[in-house]
Parts: sequence; C-alpha cells; structure tokens
Amino acid sequence: MNIQSNFWDKFSTNKRNKYSLLIFIFFFVLSLFAEILSNDKPIVLSIDDKLYFPIFVSYTDKQFGGFFDTEADYKDEFITSRLKEKSNWAIFPLNPHSYDSINISQSAPNPARPSVYNYLGTDDRGRDVLARLIYGFRLSVLFAFALTAIGIIIGIFFGAIQGYFAGRVDLYMQRFIEIWSSMPELYILIIFSSLFEPSISLLIILLSLFGWMGLSDYVRAEFLKGRNMEYVVAARTLGLSNTKIILKHILPNSMVSVITFLPFRISGAILVLTSLDFLGLGVPPDTPSLGELLAQGKENIEAWWLSLTTFLVLVGTLLLLIFIGEGIRESLDSRSS
Amino acid sequence: MKILEVKNLTVLNRHTKEVLLDNISFKLNQGEILGIVGESGSGKTLTGLSVLGLLDKSVFNIKHGSIIYNNIDILKLSDTELQKIRTRSISVVFQEPMLSLNPVQMISTQLIEVIKLHMNHNADEQIKVARDILVKTGLNDTQKILDSYPHMLSGGQRQRIMIAIALVCKPEILIADEPTTALDVTLQLQILELLKNVRTENNMSMLLISHDLDLIKNYADRVIILKNGVLLEEGSSFEIFNMPNHEYTRLLIDSSPEKLITEKKQSEMLLDIQNLNCRFPVNNAFFKKNKKYFTALSDINFHINSGETIGLVGESGSGKTTLGLSIMQLLDYSGKIFLNNVDLSLLSPEKLRESRKDYQIVFQDPYSSLSPRMNILEILSEGILSFNNISESKIFKKCSDLMTEVGLEPSMLRRYPHQFSGGQRQRIAIARALSMKPKLIIFDEPTSALDVIVQKNILKLIVDLQHKYGLSYCFISHDLKVISAISHRIYVIKDSKIIESNISDELISNPKDNYTKKLIQSSFIS
Repeated sequence: MNIQSNFWDKFSTNKRNKYSLLIFIFFFVLSLFAEILSNDKPIVLSIDDKLYFPIFVSYTDKQFGGFFDTEADYKDEFITSRLKEKSNWAIFPLNPHSYDSINISQSAPNPARPSVYNYLGTDDRGRDVLARLIYGFRLSVLFAFALTAIGIIIGIFFGAIQGYFAGRVDLYMQRFIEIWSSMPELYILIIFSSLFEPSISLLIILLSLFGWMGLSDYVRAEFLKGRNMEYVVAARTLGLSNTKIILKHILPNSMVSVITFLPFRISGAILVLTSLDFLGLGVPPDTPSLGELLAQGKENIEAWWLSLTTFLVLVGTLLLLIFIGEGIRESLDSRSS
Repeated sequence: MKILEVKNLTVLNRHTKEVLLDNISFKLNQGEILGIVGESGSGKTLTGLSVLGLLDKSVFNIKHGSIIYNNIDILKLSDTELQKIRTRSISVVFQEPMLSLNPVQMISTQLIEVIKLHMNHNADEQIKVARDILVKTGLNDTQKILDSYPHMLSGGQRQRIMIAIALVCKPEILIADEPTTALDVTLQLQILELLKNVRTENNMSMLLISHDLDLIKNYADRVIILKNGVLLEEGSSFEIFNMPNHEYTRLLIDSSPEKLITEKKQSEMLLDIQNLNCRFPVNNAFFKKNKKYFTALSDINFHINSGETIGLVGESGSGKTTLGLSIMQLLDYSGKIFLNNVDLSLLSPEKLRESRKDYQIVFQDPYSSLSPRMNILEILSEGILSFNNISESKIFKKCSDLMTEVGLEPSMLRRYPHQFSGGQRQRIAIARALSMKPKLIIFDEPTSALDVIVQKNILKLIVDLQHKYGLSYCFISHDLKVISAISHRIYVIKDSKIIESNISDELISNPKDNYTKKLIQSSFIS
C-alpha cells in the first residue's frame, strides 16, 4: 500500500508523466467508443414516430419500407429520402463514416482531399481516413495490450521457473531459449501468413511465440537474485511450498522490472503491428490499420493527408507511451530521491 | 599545537532538510589520535568526509561552519586546490578494502599513480618509494605484491595496501574510517598496531572513526561522542571511559556484552551431528567429469543438548554459516544430522517440510531477511498458516502475543518492515522464528549488523526467551565477546574444521590451540 501511494506521488510530481498518462487514457477510452464516434449508421433514427437504434440493433431494409432483406444502408438514397419526409429524423455520429464505408456519391477521384464530407479525406478506395485512423488506433492499442499481456504471462512463467529452480532446469531452458530465439521470426511470419488465412489471432499467436523471451530474461535475473535473499531462505525454513514462495515472496519483489518494461513493450508491439501491416503481412486486408494507411501513403505520395495524419497519430501514441514508461521507471527507481 | 579545527559545522540533507551534523566543533592536535565514536547514522563518517571536502554537494548542504587546516578553510577551496591537499596533507583509509581498490589494475599501477601525482620523482625513485612504504606497512615480499591484482591478495593485505597508498606522501593527517571493521579479529589488531606505529614515526595526527568502543579506548588519546549529528561529549580517553558525563556515553560504555547465562544442568541430547561434510563444485564445467570442489565443512561432529546454547566462532570463510544452513537442511551435505534421534537427511520431502517446525533460523541482516512487500502480520502468520488452518481472529491474537513476547507493540502489526529500525526488525525476525514453536533456533550473526546498545538488548531478549521456553540455541558469530556472553559451550571453527571445543569459561581461560589463543587475545584487547 505504502509503495503504491508513494509511487503515484512520485509519478505525478512530474507534470509530463501525469499529462501523458491522462491524454493517452483519454484517447484510448474515446477510441473504445469508436462505433458511436464514427459510423455510417445513425445513433438514433425516427421513422413514422418509431425510434430505431441502428448502431446497436441491425434493421433490414424492409423494416423501413424498402425491398431488401439485407441490412439497411443508411447512406442509400432510399433511406435518405425517407428521412426527409415529415417528422422523420436521424442523429448521425460526429464523423458519419465507418472504417469500411465507401462514399459512392463522392465526386472527386480517390484518394480525395479533406473536405466537409470527409474531414481528413479518403484513401485510395474511397474510405474515410479519419474513421480508419480512429479504428486503426483502437486496434493497434488493443492488439498491443493483448500481445504484451500474453508475453508478460509467458515471460514471467518461464523466467520464474528458470530463476527459482536454477541449476539444471535453468541450464536446459536457457539453451532452449537460445535455439528458439535464433529462429528467423520474420520468415516464419511470411510462411504462416501464406499458409493460413491471415487474422489478428494468428498474428498474436505467432508474435507471442517469440515475444516472451526478452522479458523472461529479466524475470529470470530477478529470481536468481531473489532466491538467495534471506527472507526467501527464511520462508523456506518456515516450510512454505515452492509455489507459495514464488508467488508471495519473490514475484512481488521482482515486478519492478516487469512494470518498468510495460509501456516500452506496448509501444514496441504497436510498432511491430504497424510494420507488418506496412509490409502487407499483418492483419487481413479490410481491417483498419495504421500500417496499411502508411503503405497507402507511400503509394500515393501526393496524398499528404494519408501519410501525414497517420504519421502524427503513430508518433503521438508512441511518444506518450515512452513518456509514461520513462515516468514509471523514474518513480520506481528507489535510488532517486 | 592544533593542526585541524572544525568550527560549528552544520550539514543538512539538501532534499529532506534533515540536520545530519549539528554545530560540530572539535580540534585535532599534532601527533594525536582523536577517536570519533557513535552508532550508525550518528554522522561520524560524514564528519570524516567533510574534512576531506568529499561531501557530494548535490546531496549535502553545508549550512555553515568552517574546517581550518593551515589557516585555510577547506570548505571554501576549489576542487583543484582540494586535490592538492588530499593524500599529500590529509589522507583517508576507508572501511571496505574490497571496494577501494580498482580490480583491473595491478597494485604497482595504483600505488605509483599516487606517487606520480603528488611527488616529483623519476621512475626509479617512484618504485623505491613504493617498496619502502610497502615494507613499512608490513608487506615484505614487495615485488610479488606490486605485480599482483587486488583479487590475488587477502583482505588484510588489501587493507595494508590502502594504508600504504594513504601514507605514501607522508600526510599530516590520516582519517581512518572504521579501518578494521571489515577484517577478521586476528587481523584487526595487526592493522591497528601498524597505524599506531606509523603515527609515532611520522608524528602524524589521526582521526579514528569507529563504533567499537574497545578499539577507541585502546588507541585514541582523546574521544568525541556523536549521536544523531550532535556532539555529546569530548574529553581524553581516560576521562570519557572512567567518568563519563553524558547519559548516552554511560549507556555506550555499559553496552559491551556481559555474561548473561546461568549454568546449565545435564539434559538429553537434542541435536547430534556426525561426520558432516559439505563441498561445492568450483569449476562450473558441465561436460567435464572430474570436477573440482571447495570443501566448506569437513568431518564436523558436535551436539546440542536441549535448553543449551552452543557458540560457533570463526572468521569469515571458515564455514560457520554453511554449518548453520546444513542444519537447516538448506544445503546438500553428506553425513548425519539427528534431531531427537531422527535422521533428517533420510526424511521424504513432505516429512522434511513438517520437521522444519522444530528448527528455525535468524539471519544476520534484518534488512534483507524480511520481505519488503509484506506487512508484519503477513510475515508472522505465514509460517503458522503453512501448517494449520486457523481463523483470522485467532491468527491476529497469536501474532499480537508474539509481538509482545519480543517487546514490540501489537498495534504495529499492520506496518511494513521499512518502518522499523534495525533492532526492531531483528525482534520481528526472532518472533517469526518463535511463531513455529521450535525446539532449536540457529542465530547466524544476529547482532553483527546492529549498534552496540541494541545488540545488548537483543542478546538479553534471546536469553530471556531461552529461560521461558527451554529453547536450544546454536549461536554463530565472529565476535568471541558476544559468543562467550551467552554460550554454555563454544566450538572454534577454522578452515572448515572444528579445532577446539570446551565449556565457555574453560575455553576462554585455558585455550589449547594457537589460533584460539590469538582469537582470544585480539577479541579482548581491553
């Protein structure tokens, strides 16, 4: 308890840390509501004095008096004309485009410049750039969280076992890690992305297979140090089981290195996803992603709104994470006063 | 004639504004040894460092005061001017000889570097000066020493080299900051005699900083007593030790351990150790078949009767801690350890875990033996809970009783280890050992990290608990004074063997082995 409150005091005395964290949380929480912020369906819609919530419930064209059994297209002329009738109305999200909605009525060639219809222009298939940025940012961060969480769990697990039992166990596992880490990660990714249908879960599994090793080294070192601490020896003489000693005595005292690594790992994971998408090895083609936008920016070098906006979002995110990480590292450092 | 004068020196911690030295004034006369005594945190090292102008300005704020040497105020000098004074006029010997020498440079390089810097000599003369000073400090095989790296030398040799480096420019003042604390007792005496001789020879003045009262009593001409940065008392060695004015000084002088135990009646054997051997592989060769071993214990035989304290005394590296850990079943060993006639080495892992209730250990360093992320209640209840399932209120009651038992407030149970002082932490460690209701407790240097006054109280607590519960103790220490104060029988251990054992008084008054004699001589210098 004491350590936590002390940590927060130290962390928030530096304004840069505090604001970086607040800004990051603000944008991240905002992006979690992307469907309400940026969507081609209205939030609320009233036709013939009946209320509809298209974002949450899917309605067919027929329900609005159309002909098709498929989901209604709210940008379609049929529905827009119905909305103009008498007391009918609709409230659209702030940015009335989803990441995959194509603006057919757009007159300018794609990619189109920023305009009143598309605040940040469209990409080369006529999809709204702002919408793709919002969804892409959310995907990147969630992806990074997942990858980091899995990496940390596996890393702590193996690191703890290696460090705590040391000796033979450590020796063999260390050799295994050496062999495992010398596998060419990128080629394996390329091979697998051609063998299987590319998907986010496949990507997470493949990256997790290799991502845990960097962390397990640190956990191992902490445990090697911790296993000989006198309070650990004392716990052993009290007759505690190995699991208990690991979980209650060594792990809490070696979490500092893990927590310090956290923001850097998250930013690293974002960067990995972006680079893979940029190379076309990442997420499936239709998924909104920062890397894919950057690739488009490279293809259409004159469309500055593609590369510049993505670049700013990416740099902003990474910068915030690094500031936060720096802050955490400083606050956990017991040597600085 | 005074050579150095410290006037109204006040030093603050720049960040916490804590007063570390409060208006300290004292004089050092020519050819005199001035002892500075105080417990840890009293500011004695800080005083020594400020005389050399070595205080880190980003941490320490010298609020006011002056240190006059040769009519110059050292505190006002620039760094380059200070460098000229250091070593040539004022020199220092630090506590830790392992850390004060650069491990990747030969002794000759490190020694001649100083000579080059402060004296105008050509290369031949430099080597001659270096050899002379080594001979003077008692290192006769000069060529071998000069060609060695620090790790090739023993602790005592290293400390001699540190003294040689400090003395090579014939300084007027030597600051010796706990010069012998890290050394074994038998070496302490030699180093102190050496310093004393050099002092007489060069008519040098010396600031001898130590927590060890016996040492100060024997070597200092005058003494100042520091506590929490305040100078409590100043006077000649005789005055201070025979008619102390201040309450604290009296307490300090009174704190040297006195006989605490009563004669033990015959009782049955609790622990019996037969032919205990312990060795560690040195070369970590995985594929090699003939590994080399370091023998930590060889053919140890001894026993502890119930309700008895036995003392294990020996210098660092003699294997006494290894012996303690072997009894605790924390190391691989060969031989037999019987507890209540049960051979512990033959027990299954589960049976062994159960047997751990009966023997507990208290470690030397109370700072590393308590997990910093657990509060005292968690620390004390852990052992109990690993064997029994008890309701929370009962646990709380048990832990409260334990706290009272070791002289702490039960209301402190929710606190974390860092909120306690070293002595209190050691009490908690003892309470943790007691929580298992053991028959035998091993104390591995339990008071070495503590100040003398605290040490005495802890020893009293340990003896009281023995009377109350009829516990058996195995007390491990390098300090023969402490051992003889609380042990019924003493085993002297050297180079992994037990070389002598006897009833305490017999051993002290009538030692047989040469090493034991030397040990007794240097332990009871007063």
